[in-house]
Amino acid sequence: MGGDRTILALFLFGLAITAVMIIYPASHAIELSFQKAESFISEPEWVGLDNYVRVLSDMEFWDALRRGMVFSGWAIALQILLGIGFAVLLDANLPAQRVVRAITILPYLLPTLIVTLLVRWMLNDPIGIITIAFQNLGFGTVDWYGSPNLAMGMVILVSVWIWTPFVTISFLAGLQSVPESLYEAAKVDGASSWQRFWHITLPQLRPVLTVVILLRTIWMFNKFDIVWLLTRGGPLKATEHLPILAYRKAFESFDVGMGAAISTISFLILSVAVFIYFRLFPLDQKD
Amino acid sequence: MPKSTKNPTRKSPQDLSSGPKLTTSRRTVIKGLGATAGAAAVSLHAPFVHAQQKTIRFLNGEPTVESVRAMKFAAAQYEKETGVKVQMDTVPAGKAFNKLQASLKGGRPYDIGTLFFIGDVLILAAEKKIVPLNEITKKYTWGPKILFPVDGNHYWYPYDYNLCWINYRRDLYEKAGLQPATTWNQLLENMAALKGKGDGMTDNGILQPISSSSATNYLTFGYMWAQGAKIFDDKWNVVFDKGDVKKAAMDYLDFVEQMTEYMPTGISQAEWGVGMRGLRSGQLSHAPGTGRAIDVIRTTDPKLAQKIGVFPFPDSAGKNVAVNHGYDGWVVFDTPQTEEAMKFMQWFSDEQLINFLHTSVVHYQPTRMDIYEDARWLAHPALEDYKHITEWQKRFLTDENVIIRSIDTEGPYADLRAGKVFRSYALPEMLQNKIIKKMSSSEAVDVAAAKMREVIKNS
Repeated sequence: MGGDRTILALFLFGLAITAVMIIYPASHAIELSFQKAESFISEPEWVGLDNYVRVLSDMEFWDALRRGMVFSGWAIALQILLGIGFAVLLDANLPAQRVVRAITILPYLLPTLIVTLLVRWMLNDPIGIITIAFQNLGFGTVDWYGSPNLAMGMVILVSVWIWTPFVTISFLAGLQSVPESLYEAAKVDGASSWQRFWHITLPQLRPVLTVVILLRTIWMFNKFDIVWLLTRGGPLKATEHLPILAYRKAFESFDVGMGAAISTISFLILSVAVFIYFRLFPLDQKD
Repeated sequence: MPKSTKNPTRKSPQDLSSGPKLTTSRRTVIKGLGATAGAAAVSLHAPFVHAQQKTIRFLNGEPTVESVRAMKFAAAQYEKETGVKVQMDTVPAGKAFNKLQASLKGGRPYDIGTLFFIGDVLILAAEKKIVPLNEITKKYTWGPKILFPVDGNHYWYPYDYNLCWINYRRDLYEKAGLQPATTWNQLLENMAALKGKGDGMTDNGILQPISSSSATNYLTFGYMWAQGAKIFDDKWNVVFDKGDVKKAAMDYLDFVEQMTEYMPTGISQAEWGVGMRGLRSGQLSHAPGTGRAIDVIRTTDPKLAQKIGVFPFPDSAGKNVAVNHGYDGWVVFDTPQTEEAMKFMQWFSDEQLINFLHTSVVHYQPTRMDIYEDARWLAHPALEDYKHITEWQKRFLTDENVIIRSIDTEGPYADLRAGKVFRSYALPEMLQNKIIKKMSSSEAVDVAAAKMREVIKNS
């Protein structure tokens, strides 16, 4: 009985925390999306679906959505590819394996702010080490954020740098659970390294892959800090995705309702995507 | 001498017991109860707060060590003189409005707050969250374009101008025999003359940010104001793409494009302070900025600070000059302590403002004209040491040929429409369209004007 009460108390405590920290702010944001207000202290006016109509008829929204998909799509794809590659390498019997593994997760341990500052310094003109290296290699002075495509490339690369270690660790953990006997049997059958990877490693990693893709999609789609700290959505809005657009509308453009509507739509898009994903790749699939 | 342990005025319990016998009758009890009830009733009208020490909550938005110290000193002094406590909280400038909004929403508003954007003042005034300061402001003579009246009321107490001008390396100018630029071409020539390798030369001429940021809005458009561009007419119509105004804006864009030849890479990301860091390190010969940068360099490297001069943004023909407007001020909130807050503001204005201004003496350019003659303010040695800068500052306010403009203060009077244009970053995007996208100047101006109309259409 005592154990049940403890569990109930912990459950209620967790529920209360969730209600205060997540449910109330989220429901308040949804409420704001039906109102018109120039600031958070303005007397709001109920406008129904007007904010949603404005958002959906605004090209800024669709452009930001497209950029968000480009950003998160590329970042996730590269993180997964590199993560699997690094995990396979780290799973091998390398010299100083523990040290290498520890170094690999370093970017993930650093605060985003530190990483972005490091990147900005390394790309700085005229003192950035990468900028100088490119000059010495004869590429001239590269303006890393001076063109829309390059700026998008930079935020994707930095995201990959920070988050690939998380993917690597996840896959490395998955690799530890692959029975060695499967590889031995495949070797006996004459399977090449590539065949062993393709037919044993990848299928065995599928549950981890499913979860990692899901988590990375949610996190990258909502990623605000890296983009904001590196480019603030520029130049020419080339890196302005939905979180930044919502922030700009709510906190800079005196349009709290529209900012809230963008956030709500973003939440709905993500929810639908997750629902479809679960239908396609159910987590409880054991095969 | 042994210390006596007996207090001659206090009776011991034994003394009391030896006195007249105390009798407790029913009447005595009733009288006692009546007296107690009466005393309680008399005290009922006095709210609990009257029994507390009065406290004013002040949100300071100037986080430098010296400024915080000056504000805390003022608070302590005020408490000593009046018994009223001033709780001084400090946040970075950019966080002040959010903090003030949070305090209002949380039901515990600050009594006094610092603001840096007139749009925020207008929002608070429209919501009747702040009170007019007319009784205080009417006592002083103010500089131009600083009180921003709303329906005849002054809702804030501005304490500095925060103007933006061009800083340049005076020592390099002297060495090369150059004169401060009065035209765009002269500025380009000066930058060209100082660009190069070796002693007395710099890698680049200037850094003007073009990112979609407040820094660009503040640092990059002085040339455009000098050229005669404006955003609104007297009836809040956007005239940026009309007639001579459009011509001025197009000329400006062509000029900025020419200037990029003398700029380092990274202008699309540049933020506050980047240009001044370049000036300080000898990589740039010019940088747009304010007195804040001068004060920072002055306190860390006085020799270098002496090598820095200032001049206003020129136009193309040498007819006009401009400085970009900036401003910082305090507002008083409508709270139960408003009256006390007003008293504090008046006291601070008379007794402590100059001490506060002295904590960043070049940056905190006074908004009250009487301060320029005040012996207490003039006593700061830096005002004399940096006369080549501080004399310019006063001239910016008194010379009719100096244009003081900024995006957020455009229009016939202070209004949120100008704030919306500021925060839409229509003008920085115009620069990006011209420089990154290689759009024609005419089209870039048209795109910017269209965006301005879009953002104010529901205002």
